Amino acid sequence: MTSPADSFIQEATDILEGLEAILLELEAEPDSASTVDAVFRALHTLKGSGAMFGFDALARFTHHFENAYDQIREGQAQVTPELIQLSLASRDHIERMIAAGPGAEDDPASAALVTEIEKLAGDASPADASDPVVQKTSQQRFVIRLVPDALALRNGTRLDLLLDELCELGDAVVTCHDDRVPSLREIDPTVCHLWWTIELDTSKGRDAIDEVFIFASDCEIEIEDSTSDAAPQVTPVQEAPEKKAPPQTKPAAKQEDKPAAQKSDSVRVQSQRLDELMDQLGELVIAQARLNRIAGDLGDAALAGTAEEIENLVSGLRDSILSIRMLPIEPVFTKFRRVVRDLSTELGKAVTLKARGGETEVDKNVIDSLTEPLVHIIRNSIDHGIELPEARRAAGKPEQARVDLHARQSGGKVLISIADDGAGLDAEAIRERAVERGLIAPEAELSEEQLYGLIFEPGFSTAKTLSSVSGRGVGMDAVRRVIEDLQGTVEVRSQKGVGTEVTLCLPLTLAIIDGLLVKVGEESFVVPLSSVEECVELPPSDDVRASGRSILRIRDELVPFLSLDRLFGFERLDSDDRRVVITSIEGRRMGLVVDQVIGQYQTVIKPLSIYHRNIEGLAGSTILGDGSVALILDAAAVVRRAISTQRVAA
Amino acid sequence: MADDRHDNASEEMILTFTLDGEIFAIAVSHVNEILDPLPVTQAPCADPFAPGLINVRGAIVPLVDLRQRLGMPPVVVGESSRVLVLDLTVGGEATKVAMLADDVDDIADISSAELEPVPELGVRWPVSLIRGVTKKDGVLVIVLDAEAAFAPTSSQSQKN
Repeated sequence: MTSPADSFIQEATDILEGLEAILLELEAEPDSASTVDAVFRALHTLKGSGAMFGFDALARFTHHFENAYDQIREGQAQVTPELIQLSLASRDHIERMIAAGPGAEDDPASAALVTEIEKLAGDASPADASDPVVQKTSQQRFVIRLVPDALALRNGTRLDLLLDELCELGDAVVTCHDDRVPSLREIDPTVCHLWWTIELDTSKGRDAIDEVFIFASDCEIEIEDSTSDAAPQVTPVQEAPEKKAPPQTKPAAKQEDKPAAQKSDSVRVQSQRLDELMDQLGELVIAQARLNRIAGDLGDAALAGTAEEIENLVSGLRDSILSIRMLPIEPVFTKFRRVVRDLSTELGKAVTLKARGGETEVDKNVIDSLTEPLVHIIRNSIDHGIELPEARRAAGKPEQARVDLHARQSGGKVLISIADDGAGLDAEAIRERAVERGLIAPEAELSEEQLYGLIFEPGFSTAKTLSSVSGRGVGMDAVRRVIEDLQGTVEVRSQKGVGTEVTLCLPLTLAIIDGLLVKVGEESFVVPLSSVEECVELPPSDDVRASGRSILRIRDELVPFLSLDRLFGFERLDSDDRRVVITSIEGRRMGLVVDQVIGQYQTVIKPLSIYHRNIEGLAGSTILGDGSVALILDAAAVVRRAISTQRVAA
Repeated sequence: MADDRHDNASEEMILTFTLDGEIFAIAVSHVNEILDPLPVTQAPCADPFAPGLINVRGAIVPLVDLRQRLGMPPVVVGESSRVLVLDLTVGGEATKVAMLADDVDDIADISSAELEPVPELGVRWPVSLIRGVTKKDGVLVIVLDAEAAFAPTSSQSQKN
C-alpha cells in the first residue's frame, strides 16, 4: 500500500461517492431515519480520519456539516430541499479539500458554506429546546476502559483526540495507568504501553460513546454502564480485529468501519496488480493452447488427459480472475443521478432519472472508460432531446420528463441503454446538417437508421446554439471512439416526438476475448465472437459478383457480404471450405467471406506495435497454439473500411 | 547510443550484416538477439516497410523490410538468412523490431573518428538513414542511423 494519506484519500473518495448516493436517496425520502444516520456516519468517518491524516481544515469543515445531521437525528431539524442542495455543495467542497491535500489552509468557501449550514440547521429547528428526544435521555455514568493495541500509535491512532472527544460528552475523570510500562531496558518507544480508565457522566447515551470509538479499531474498549440503578454490565465493544495482522493491512481493515460501503470482508488491491495477474493469465492461456496442440500431435493418452485437466484448471482460474475484475455499474449510475439533477435545474427542465440494472457487473477497465461517454449521452438527451416544460405540455406529454438508464447482461455482452422521452431525433435536420458538413452527398439515399448513425461522425453537432452543457466540440464522435476502443458498438433508435434510445453494447472484459478463428489465405484471423451472429456456407452462385460485395439470402433477409481476401489484397485461394461469417454491427448485418472457419478460440489481445496499430480493421494480435501470430479483427472497422473503399470505387 | 557522445574518438561495437551484397552495420547496443528465420504473419493492408509480424518467444514483434526502404529487390530467404531482433525507440516508445538480413558477418570495434560522413553523391541510399561509412578490410561498411532507418513510414506516424 502507499502512504497513509493516499489510503485516506482513496477511502474518502469512496465515502464521498457513497455520500452522494445517500444524499440523493434522502432527497427522495426525507423522513428516512436510517438514511440520515448513514449521512451522519459517513461524515463522522470523514471527519475522524481526515483529522488523523492531517486534513485539519477538512475535519473542521466536516464537523459543522456533521452537526447539522446530528440535529436532524435528534429531531431538532428537518430535511429540506435546501439542506440537500447545501449538502451536495458541501460534499463537492470536501472533494476539493481532499484534492488540495493534507495541511491545506481553510478555503474562504468553507466559511460561507458553514454559515449557511448553521443558518439552515438553526432555522429549521422549531421545536428545539424543549424537544422530547433530548429530554428523554437522562444522565448516565459510564466507566470506560481504553487499552490501546501495542501498534496503535504506529498505526496513527490519535489517543489524545479520542480522549478529548470523550471529555466533550460530559464530565469526565480520566485516569492513566502505567502499570504495563516495561523497564527502560526493554522499552520500545514506538509501542503504546499506557492504558486509561475514564469515568464519564453524560446525557448523550451509550451510542455517543460508541461513536467516539468508531474508528479506534486498534484499541480494546470496554464500556460499563455504572449508573446507580442499572446493573453493572460489561460489554466488550471491539476486539481489535487486526491484532494479529501486520500493520500495513490497516487500510483494508479500516474499510469495515466505512459506513458508505456495503459490509463485507474485502481486501483492497491496486488495480495494477490485477492487470499484472491478467497479463500472466494471458500468457498461461497461450501456453496452455500450445500444450493442447502438442498433446494432440503426439497422441499420447496420458499427456492428452493432463492437458485437458490443465485446460479446465486454466479456464476456472480465468473465470475467477475475471470475476475479481468485475464491478457492479451502480456507482457510475449514481454519478448520473447527480448529473441529471444538476442539469435539469440548470436548464429548467424537470427530469427524473430511472436507473435499472445497477447490479450488472462489468470489467473495471470498461467501467473506468465508460463514465465520460455515458455522461455525454445523458447530457445530450437532456439538452437536445428533452423539450422545455411548455413544449411538453403542448405535445400532451407529462411535464416531468424521464431518462431511463438500463444495464443488463446479454450473452457475452453488456448492454447499456439510455432512453429519453423527448422530442426524438429529427432525421431531416440531421440530413441537412450532414450535407452541409459534407458528410454525405445531397442526393444520397439513407435510411433513418443510417441518418441517426451520422450523429457519431466527427464534426457533427445539431445544436444550433452552444450551451454550457453540450456542443462544446467533443461530440458524439468521441463517444463512438471510446466505445469502439472498448470493442463495443453504439446503436441509436429514435421516434420523432416519442424519444430516443442510445444503446451501448460492450464486451464483458477487454483482456481476453472469445473469438472465432478463421483463415483468410494463408493467414489466421480472430473475429471477436461478440460481433459474430452465425456462419453460413457460401453458395457458389453468389460468389461471382465483380464488385467484391454481394448479397446473400439468409432465411428471409438479404445480407450484403464482402470477401476478406479481396479487401486485404490477399491472393485468392481455391478453398472448398469458404464460409460467410455473418457479423452484426450497430444493428446492421454484414457477411465476411473467409477461406476456412477453424472454430471458437479464446484468446488474449496483445496490442499492435506502432507500425501496425493504425491499420483500420485490426484490433490486436495474439499467438496461436502452434506459435504462429494471428491478427484480431475489429469487425466494425472492417465493415466501415469496406464501405468506404466501395464509395471510393463507386 | 549514448556512448558515441563522450568524446570525439569513442570506441563503439557494431554488428555488420549483408543486404543485397552490401555490408551494413548497426550499433551492437541495439541488437537484442539473432535468430534463424521464423514464420511470418502478413499484416493485411500494412505499409510495405512493415509487412508482417513474428513470434519471438511469446512476444509479437513487427518485422520490417529494410530492403524495401533502401530500394533493393525483395528478399529471398536462404541458408545464411538471419533475423535480427533490435531494441529501438520508435516514436518515443521502446519497441522490439525485427529485420531480415541476408547474412550476419561480424562484430567489430570502430572509433567514431573512423566514421566518415556520407558523400552526397556517392551512395544510392537516402543519406538521412545513414550515420556514416567506414572501411573494414578494405570493404565499405555503411553504418545505419537506427532511429531514422527504422522509423515508421510517416503516413503511419502522422495518424497518431
